[in-house]
Amino acid sequence: MAHTFFGGVFPATRKSNTRRKPLSKLTRPPLEVVIPLLMSADGPSVPVVRPGEMVSVRQVIAQPGADGGAMAHASVSGRVAAIENRPHPWGGSSLAIVIRSDGQNNPWSGSPTPKEPKDVDLELLVSRTRAAGIVGMGGGAFPAWEKVSQAAGRVDTLIVNAAECEPYVTADHRLLLERSEKILRGASTLGRCLGAQRVVIVTEGDKLNAAESVERRLRRHRSSAQLCTVRTRYPLGAEKQIIQTATGREVPPGGSPLDVKCVVFNVATVYAIQDALFFGHPLTHRAVTVTGGAVTRPRNLWVPIGTPLGHLLEEAGGLREEADLMLTGGPMMGIPLQSLDAPVTKDTNSLVCLTRGEHKPQGNGAVCIRCGKCVAACPMHLAPTFIRRALDEGDMARLARYHVEDCISCGCCSFICPAQIPLVETVARARTALEKGVGPR
Amino acid sequence: MKRYSPARLSPQLRQPATTSAMILDVMVALVPALGFAVFFFGTRALALCAISMAASALFELLYRKLTRQSNTIGDLSACLTGLLLALSLPASSPYWVPVFGSAFAIIVVKQFYGGLGKNFMNPALAGRMLAATLPTLMTTWPQPLQKLSLGAVDAVAAATPMASLHEGTLPAQGLDLMFLGTRGGCMGEVSAFALLLGLAYLLLRRVISFRVPGAYLGTVALIALAFAPQGVSRPQWAAYQLMGGGLLLGAVFFATDPATTPVTPRGQLMFGAGCGLLTALLRAFSSYPEGVGWAILTMNCLVWLLDRVGLPRRFGIGNFAATREAFAGMRASLAEIKFVIPKRQRKPDRPKQGKMPGEAYLDQIRAHLKTFGPFALVLAATCAVIFGVHALTDLDTARAETQAEQELLTQVMPQADHASETPYRANGAISITAGYTDQGDLVGYCVEVQNNGFGGPVTMVVGVDLDGKVTGVAVTSHSETNTVGTRAMTPAALKRYVGRSGTIRASGDNAVDTVSGATATSRAITAGVNRALAIVANLDTEIDISFSDAP
Repeated sequence: MAHTFFGGVFPATRKSNTRRKPLSKLTRPPLEVVIPLLMSADGPSVPVVRPGEMVSVRQVIAQPGADGGAMAHASVSGRVAAIENRPHPWGGSSLAIVIRSDGQNNPWSGSPTPKEPKDVDLELLVSRTRAAGIVGMGGGAFPAWEKVSQAAGRVDTLIVNAAECEPYVTADHRLLLERSEKILRGASTLGRCLGAQRVVIVTEGDKLNAAESVERRLRRHRSSAQLCTVRTRYPLGAEKQIIQTATGREVPPGGSPLDVKCVVFNVATVYAIQDALFFGHPLTHRAVTVTGGAVTRPRNLWVPIGTPLGHLLEEAGGLREEADLMLTGGPMMGIPLQSLDAPVTKDTNSLVCLTRGEHKPQGNGAVCIRCGKCVAACPMHLAPTFIRRALDEGDMARLARYHVEDCISCGCCSFICPAQIPLVETVARARTALEKGVGPR
Repeated sequence: MKRYSPARLSPQLRQPATTSAMILDVMVALVPALGFAVFFFGTRALALCAISMAASALFELLYRKLTRQSNTIGDLSACLTGLLLALSLPASSPYWVPVFGSAFAIIVVKQFYGGLGKNFMNPALAGRMLAATLPTLMTTWPQPLQKLSLGAVDAVAAATPMASLHEGTLPAQGLDLMFLGTRGGCMGEVSAFALLLGLAYLLLRRVISFRVPGAYLGTVALIALAFAPQGVSRPQWAAYQLMGGGLLLGAVFFATDPATTPVTPRGQLMFGAGCGLLTALLRAFSSYPEGVGWAILTMNCLVWLLDRVGLPRRFGIGNFAATREAFAGMRASLAEIKFVIPKRQRKPDRPKQGKMPGEAYLDQIRAHLKTFGPFALVLAATCAVIFGVHALTDLDTARAETQAEQELLTQVMPQADHASETPYRANGAISITAGYTDQGDLVGYCVEVQNNGFGGPVTMVVGVDLDGKVTGVAVTSHSETNTVGTRAMTPAALKRYVGRSGTIRASGDNAVDTVSGATATSRAITAGVNRALAIVANLDTEIDISFSDAP
């Protein structure tokens, strides 16, 4: 595979804390789970249960509303305590269904029947994915069934994104290592239903044991899927970059992966889809890495969706020193956590607690010395330092020539800048300024 | 469709290197070169570097303080400029040269454009090339392994390999010596080995990318391979071209200065190739053997263009669209070149109402003073520093003066070994010095006197021993007519005074004849000698000096 993408940076991955820790279930199940209604990028769902009602595991508790949203399922059995505003990991708060667990975990009787891979067709795939409430689990939270139905018949390559280029996070790594059989089965079924001739699993060189496990199974099953292991580089996991790495195609500006006949699913999403197809399980659990220098016993956990993040932290032994910053989703593109009461959502892959030493907060920025590292690091071929200068000078005509709208906010430029200039924010400001058509002042 | 997505932050991790750490890394990368310089040229190399760095830091501090700007010493860029400047000078340069160079580099090239990152020319290189215009500095190269003393320098000019390369022949040194650095040249450039160590360090630390040095050295190597002169092996010629002169120093340390090289990767490649092409051309066709400095400075001036031309292709558009976009960008860049005609101010500033007529103008003058005052202060301080270092350390001049004094002493008082100043003052004597033998015995006194000759004052030094006898006469300055007046100053003419005492007259006893044709000068000298004799006789010394006037 001679393809690669331009730029990128090499942050210290610091995955050794958790890369050998298997996905383990919670030793103390949560007493209460908080399932936010907003778990999909297209909008909040509508609850179908009322406070006081008893629910079982995998029971539907919310369904898509008028303006989108995903199905939500109870991840524990118990009584619905309330439907109220609770903190949301994306920031702020949103309506959430609070279920007080009874500790029984009684399964729901209404789950769909498991299917064999050969019985699955596109229609079933879409309906099952939709019924299981699966959204993009890599961080985008885009409804998976929409992606499936849009991609069907229009793609020739299915890419399973197991890159996990964010430092610290190892949830996808453990998932790929421990459940490679199921993931492969899911990926090939997905590829067949979508009409993709080629199924590629892209992973990085720091997950060689997972890659080996996949490789062994590919050989055993004589599967047509391919494994593509590339050198660890951030942001390989970004959609456009992973397509470029796997196929050499570039997604046109403003276009979608479908324009280059590719579709990308996160490895956790693929796992959830196969769970829904072959076991009839909706998306109620996911892998979460609790890590960071401030955590006493960093580990990978298999947790019910809706578990408060504070509970995960207790499971990992709590904090051994004061955390300077806690965030979900990895330190490069993560979301700062405002409250530990916020629950695990479908797209939460990690809880990272950084100490003061690890977390290097954004400086105000010194003088640019024109080193050009941001230009050499930008995977989208932008020139952040020129964008910054044009914005500072208020030269909108020049700014318009720098393709600011292509930015994917991966943060490589801010990361690499030796003068610690907040370039990502600058580019975002430039984008707003261009949209409004006026200068920054 | 409304999208719900979280407010993301920019990365919470950073690469550890800050600007000053990067600059410190470059200085660390220069340590091998500095070490080899000290090994080859002695501690003087170290002293030159220290002086240069201190001067650069001082000028930076001075300028920022006097113009009331923030202190930027902490980013270490001034120290790096000083170090690079010193390493690109010959080890035999006087100490004031790096001071002069760093004044130009820091104040004119760097700070006038706004400081770090805003200058368009490499400050160290500009300072060095200005210093290179000083006569004889860049033509005498000290011999390596001949350790220079900290003080005065007797540079034995060593032929640099570049001189023979310029003539189209291979130098006498073998390639191994070139690699290690046993050859003439600037302090930092002699050892290719040390510079390659530095390059490896910079690349490993990701301070620089290989684009500029690679393109630069590659272009020079290709051109050397293609155009080697007749009868010279091509690979050897290329190897000498690569290791000779300042090419490695320039390619690794000067052409990679972030502020003065293009930002974009493609621009950096073009920059390196341009530098290589210019270097090869200058080496082959200019009258100087070396062209690295001018090549890099010239390309520095083209960076604005390369920045625009080298913009990365937009992600996700095909080759055709990319080409079209490149042309559009080029057109836009060309449109940006404007010839700005300054608007001429038609009316002089009217004094404001409500003030005395003169006061408004005074205010203007005050405002101008406020604006330009700091610059004048900077100028004055800079000059003071340069000339101070010059006066303190220019040992060549001082030594020449001592030597001239010694020669004068042997002419005036051959018996004396050395002279020292005396506290004596006398009417008509410009200075009175005492001459001593090597045992420290007083021989006599040398009196500097002046008398009017034919064309103006004649200054002479007359030696008088303790017996009141003239030991010698020397004319130090005069404005007499050449070949006529100077007839009275020939050694033979002056020798006639030796041994005389008392008052010398024009005729009769104790007479020294006037030299024909130079009567006025002769008389002036005789009068001077008489005055000196009288002064010495009247000195208030412990020893009585005899003065017998006409037996």
